[in-house]
Amino acid sequence: MRTATTASPAAFRAGRAKAIRLGDYSIRVRGRTIAALAAILVALAGAVAWTVSTGSFPLAPDRLWAALNGAATPAEEFIVWRIRLPRLATALAVGACLGLSGAIFQTLTRNPLGSPDILGLTQGASSGALVAIVFLSGASTTVVAGSAAVGALGAGLVIYLLTRGTDPSGYRLVLIGIGVSAILAGVNGYLLTRSDIIDASRAVFWLTGDLSDRNWDQAATVASVLVVGGIAAAVLARGLEAMRLGEATATGLGVDVGSTRVAALITASVLAAGGVAVSGPLAFVALAAPHIAARLTRSGRSFIGAMLVGALLVTAADAAAVSGIGERQLPTGVVTGVVGGVYLMWLLVIHRKKGVMS
Amino acid sequence: MTGPSYSSASVAEGPNRGPAGATEGAPSPLFAEDATLGYGRVAISEGLTVEVPEGEFTVIIGPNACGKSTLLKALARMLKPAAGRVVLDGKDIHSQPTRAVARRLGLLPQSPIAPDGITVADLVARGRYPHQGILKQWSAEDERVVGEAMEATDVTDLASRGVDELSGGQRQRVWIAMVLAQQTPLLLLDEPTTYLDITHQMEVLDLCGKLHRSGRTLVAVLHDLNQAARYATHLIAMRDGAVVAEGAPAEIVTAEAVEKVFDLPCRIIEDPETATPLVIPRA
Repeated sequence: MRTATTASPAAFRAGRAKAIRLGDYSIRVRGRTIAALAAILVALAGAVAWTVSTGSFPLAPDRLWAALNGAATPAEEFIVWRIRLPRLATALAVGACLGLSGAIFQTLTRNPLGSPDILGLTQGASSGALVAIVFLSGASTTVVAGSAAVGALGAGLVIYLLTRGTDPSGYRLVLIGIGVSAILAGVNGYLLTRSDIIDASRAVFWLTGDLSDRNWDQAATVASVLVVGGIAAAVLARGLEAMRLGEATATGLGVDVGSTRVAALITASVLAAGGVAVSGPLAFVALAAPHIAARLTRSGRSFIGAMLVGALLVTAADAAAVSGIGERQLPTGVVTGVVGGVYLMWLLVIHRKKGVMS
Repeated sequence: MTGPSYSSASVAEGPNRGPAGATEGAPSPLFAEDATLGYGRVAISEGLTVEVPEGEFTVIIGPNACGKSTLLKALARMLKPAAGRVVLDGKDIHSQPTRAVARRLGLLPQSPIAPDGITVADLVARGRYPHQGILKQWSAEDERVVGEAMEATDVTDLASRGVDELSGGQRQRVWIAMVLAQQTPLLLLDEPTTYLDITHQMEVLDLCGKLHRSGRTLVAVLHDLNQAARYATHLIAMRDGAVVAEGAPAEIVTAEAVEKVFDLPCRIIEDPETATPLVIPRA
């Protein structure tokens, strides 16, 4: 039944978004999003403090402060400036890259499973790294990382070529990605059987994903990938958001759907490649971060939220890995894998109860 | 609106063009010219010339797979003609920036997707996309236009409701509100009544009629011939990818024409409510 209406600005404002306007310019913000982002930042600050102060050489807050200000012993300064801070910076940048990459892929495929892990980019990076480790025995970390990046981008290119000019629905992208992923898993298994025992153990360690012994150069490389990818994502965000209404509706609204899709695929692939190349495949970060961010902000999209949650997940997982079980440190990927796996199962249980999955 | 160097050709080729005084000589803002339309290598229409008369409520009808949705997609620049062209405001539609086109022409596709949990107000606000930018996300004008669009479609009271909680008819009104928020003089609707029950079909068509009377040019694809005859001011009947008849419903809806287009033996009587033609299939 229709009801008589008066133009009711109050009812309209129930959309909860507010605009901040300055002359011709305006941005739109939601209180809930701001509050959620602030909470994530607080948690992130806690994880950062935990990371730099714990480990096999615990630092009390005053010693940490002294080390940061260059007033501590050489040993303390070495630990903070040469070991923990580069590792922390790498963890933050890798997590942000993976979270943002996952958020773009999920928006693009309109599928909650759309992530570089499922689409085959992570497997591609693994293939690249394995080729370097196995065939260039004793290859430097830089060469392995470069080869991994090439592998991830190669997988992205294959997916693009296979989905180009066909029905561009999200399902097709995901199914082709799963196929590419399966083929590359076979290739990776083959490469492992070809390797000698030293290379094989190095390969397996790489395949688990780890952040130990990272230096400032690696942190700077991932950070620059993050900056470039972040700017591209900011430019693409509005178009991608419109594409969530379907390709046809987005076209009607004036989105150049074809070029937005290609640009988003490139951006997400570069971000995933940059992150995975340096850290190895940190399982589930790219998949889980956007879901957690969406749940916290209660809006389907939040690229910034996904970046922050990704950074939080990797930093916290790395801190937990360093703390280890008993005396033994764990590879970071073991922690993200366990935590992410549990989260995914929890999400699926919730999904079954509520019948929705954002 | 530029002078129509095209209209002579298209009018001459259009068979059974009704006299329809209102459209005579008026430049058409949107038309397809000698267009070959199809998917991949399969051509649905060849050499199709169709114009959308300004200020009319045009309804495209025809049997399944006659190419009516394909024509609408081409007019909405979702499908690029393999040959020929679609012209908006005197220029090839594909040569114009898609955002500029979106400020002239609004489109409601057959199955738009509402993101999970989105509210009515948020969905309608998406219609402002072609008027916004990365640093112009929500102007006072945006807010006013969205409010007006919701009022025009009678969904203001639903503003804070989730789109997934609504009935089919309400949801379709919300989608139409979104397209209205685009503020375009031209509206293209692809089967806006499909999947709705009869009450909601009438509700959506009444809304379309209201939008037409408020001065917009509408083009809709409809399945129901009697609804088309009742609401349209201009009918385009298609079969096998070609236009078989076009003009005012009273002029072109004849028993012979219906049989020719739909292979349906029928009688035509006067609709007792609206005096428009009513098609009664023969028993």
